[in-house]
Amino acid sequence: MIPKFLTAGPSRRTFLKTAGAAAASLGLPRMALAAGEPIKIGFLAPLTGAVAAWGKPGLDGCEIWAERVNAAGGIQLADGAHPIEFVSYDNEYDPAKARTGATKLIREDGVKFIMMLGGDTWPGVQPVADRTGMLFSTLLPSDLSPETTTLVAPAEVHPIYNVTGVEWLAENKPDLKTAVMCAQDDALGLPSVATYLAAFEAAGIEMLDEPLLFDPATTDFAPVVTRLMAKNPQIICLDTCYSDYVHPICEQLFQQGFKGQIISCTADFYDQMIEKTSKDFMEGFVFQFPDFDDPALNSDAINFQDPNGFYAEYNKRHPGQWGAVSWEYASIMDMWKAAAEKAGSAEPDAVMTAMKDGRGAHAFGDADWWGKDLFGIDNALVGDWPVVAIENGKAVIKEFRSIPDWYNRHGDLMVKHMQAYGQMWDQRG
Amino acid sequence: MRNLSILLVGLAALIALPHALSFSQQEILVFLVINVLLVTSYRLLTLTGEWSLGHVVIMGVGAYASALYTKELGIYVPVSMILGAVTAALLAVLLSFPLFRMKGFYFLIGSFAAGEIIRLIWKRFREPFGGVRGISGIDPMPDFSIGIYQFDFFEPVSYYYFAGAIVIASLWVLWRIEKSPVGLTFHAVHWQDKLAQASGVNLRAYRTLAFAIASGFAGLAGALQGHYVGTVNPNSFDIEVMVFVLTWAIVGGTQTFYGPILGCIVLTVLNEIVLREMGLEQARPLIYGAIMILSILFLPNGLESLVQKATRRKPVAKPEEKAAT
Repeated sequence: MIPKFLTAGPSRRTFLKTAGAAAASLGLPRMALAAGEPIKIGFLAPLTGAVAAWGKPGLDGCEIWAERVNAAGGIQLADGAHPIEFVSYDNEYDPAKARTGATKLIREDGVKFIMMLGGDTWPGVQPVADRTGMLFSTLLPSDLSPETTTLVAPAEVHPIYNVTGVEWLAENKPDLKTAVMCAQDDALGLPSVATYLAAFEAAGIEMLDEPLLFDPATTDFAPVVTRLMAKNPQIICLDTCYSDYVHPICEQLFQQGFKGQIISCTADFYDQMIEKTSKDFMEGFVFQFPDFDDPALNSDAINFQDPNGFYAEYNKRHPGQWGAVSWEYASIMDMWKAAAEKAGSAEPDAVMTAMKDGRGAHAFGDADWWGKDLFGIDNALVGDWPVVAIENGKAVIKEFRSIPDWYNRHGDLMVKHMQAYGQMWDQRG
Repeated sequence: MRNLSILLVGLAALIALPHALSFSQQEILVFLVINVLLVTSYRLLTLTGEWSLGHVVIMGVGAYASALYTKELGIYVPVSMILGAVTAALLAVLLSFPLFRMKGFYFLIGSFAAGEIIRLIWKRFREPFGGVRGISGIDPMPDFSIGIYQFDFFEPVSYYYFAGAIVIASLWVLWRIEKSPVGLTFHAVHWQDKLAQASGVNLRAYRTLAFAIASGFAGLAGALQGHYVGTVNPNSFDIEVMVFVLTWAIVGGTQTFYGPILGCIVLTVLNEIVLREMGLEQARPLIYGAIMILSILFLPNGLESLVQKATRRKPVAKPEEKAAT
């Protein structure tokens, strides 16, 4: 590699790659893929570092998805069947590296679609998306704005689905009337804080204190938990804390004797949390991401293909690694594949048009393209979302609830709190 | 004449370099060039014996300031970059009042605390700093043509030429400062501070001067990065990034002007190109850490010591010694 790096002139391969990509970027007629030629999909997410837990398990899930699809004959386009191949780039959750990764995936690897976690990394990639017209997906719809016309959020409408957990709690445990909340002070934490505040207000649950925002570099959570428990709340909400925070916070809650209800966006690797605390302590913990061996996912309304088999295969290959994003990127690929087959083409603009034509087949059921109010563009797919609780040491889907129904009743509260935290699309820097 | 030839050949190689690289390597080259300025400016500060943990935050000050000057005041991008650098230098002068009441380890910790305060200010105040999301949609450098070459600053090659010219000019200024009486005084402040003070040298003033110059160039590096990537946020200038700068300086060595540059180039190529191309993407932190430990164990004087060993001239025997043999 170093000799290549230092070569005085371009090699033939570099020249051809450069010329080909330059032609593509200039909008010259695109060359059709040969039948049987693999279609490459980019995976641009953190695979190392603090946020890797929301990237790496997703890539592992995608590889299982690709093997299953390829074994079934690949993707059927107008020119024949093609296998799918994933090309990954570790962006380390850094916008500059995300830009480099997007450039590599589009201009060197020739991918047709790029999946991202989003967040801090999207603004670095947006100029590349604008220039190339590449179709991107994000797990964080707060990246959406009227300018992001080639960005879709088809799997996770974080953090809006968190309202379903609070609503379920209010209906099923009506004696719970007071809450406090903590979150890391970052781009994931703040919109989620606004969402939970709206949900608690809609449910008639009183916030005993302002949300406690801690620095993402925090490692000692004893003082955080002490302050949370000081007002003797019935509910402690852990917002969208990373698993590196959820685990120590739960340990501290256990050690400091909390006996109330915990609600959180995620509970990744909850079996480890049970080991560190106790089965009794974690009983009833409410969150939003199911294990895919749950029988409720075998309903006809579910669009994710063979969730139980996928979960079994994932756990066989990566025991103990199942997390919130293990299935999400794969579910985006289900949608992308359906749209590409409908369009008969893998070209980004054709897939985008087909994807947004009518309702979308979201993993948890058919859903609508939505988001104009909050994101300035209808590029987020919103429908039902599961409420999950830990029962006897195992995550169990308690119910699927409709996000649009909640929003139709309480959308003004959501907008109010989003505005208060500067999270509306027109308030971003 | 020989020096001029070497200079011209070097310049031609730098101009040709991006055309030998792939697109992603060209992107990495842009960031490498910017980081060369960052780490070289850091070395200037270390000449006075002080190691800071806030240098990357100061880089961020330049990036934020330049972004805000263009977004809020509509200032032309190249001018805002210079103003961003000046802002970083002025902030360093301000910070020097509390920080240079400390020395050595205490200065190190103080600089870290100062940097964290600045980062918290960026996070806390959505107006004008954008809060935790930072500022996005920063104006890029406007495209222009010089007849024989059309600068399209979305393209990494164009930005490499632009940033490269600025960095070369900056390195020349830093080099001239180090070789000037002021630079020699920086060395004296580090190695013979009592003697220098006894000779009438105002230690604090020289430390402040080094801090301000180093911060100004770090701010310029930040502005170059901000207008290329199009976004700045507090996490891009945190302690993890600072650790990389320290690593480049330590592995490269700080005794020579080129030591930190060498460290930056070698470690960046290793981390961003070689290990990724070898399919070891997810094992990079492990391998990178191991290489760093090994280099410190076996190359305690840095990579620059290898260059010094390779280029050291053998002593030429005197004529009478030759006759005797």
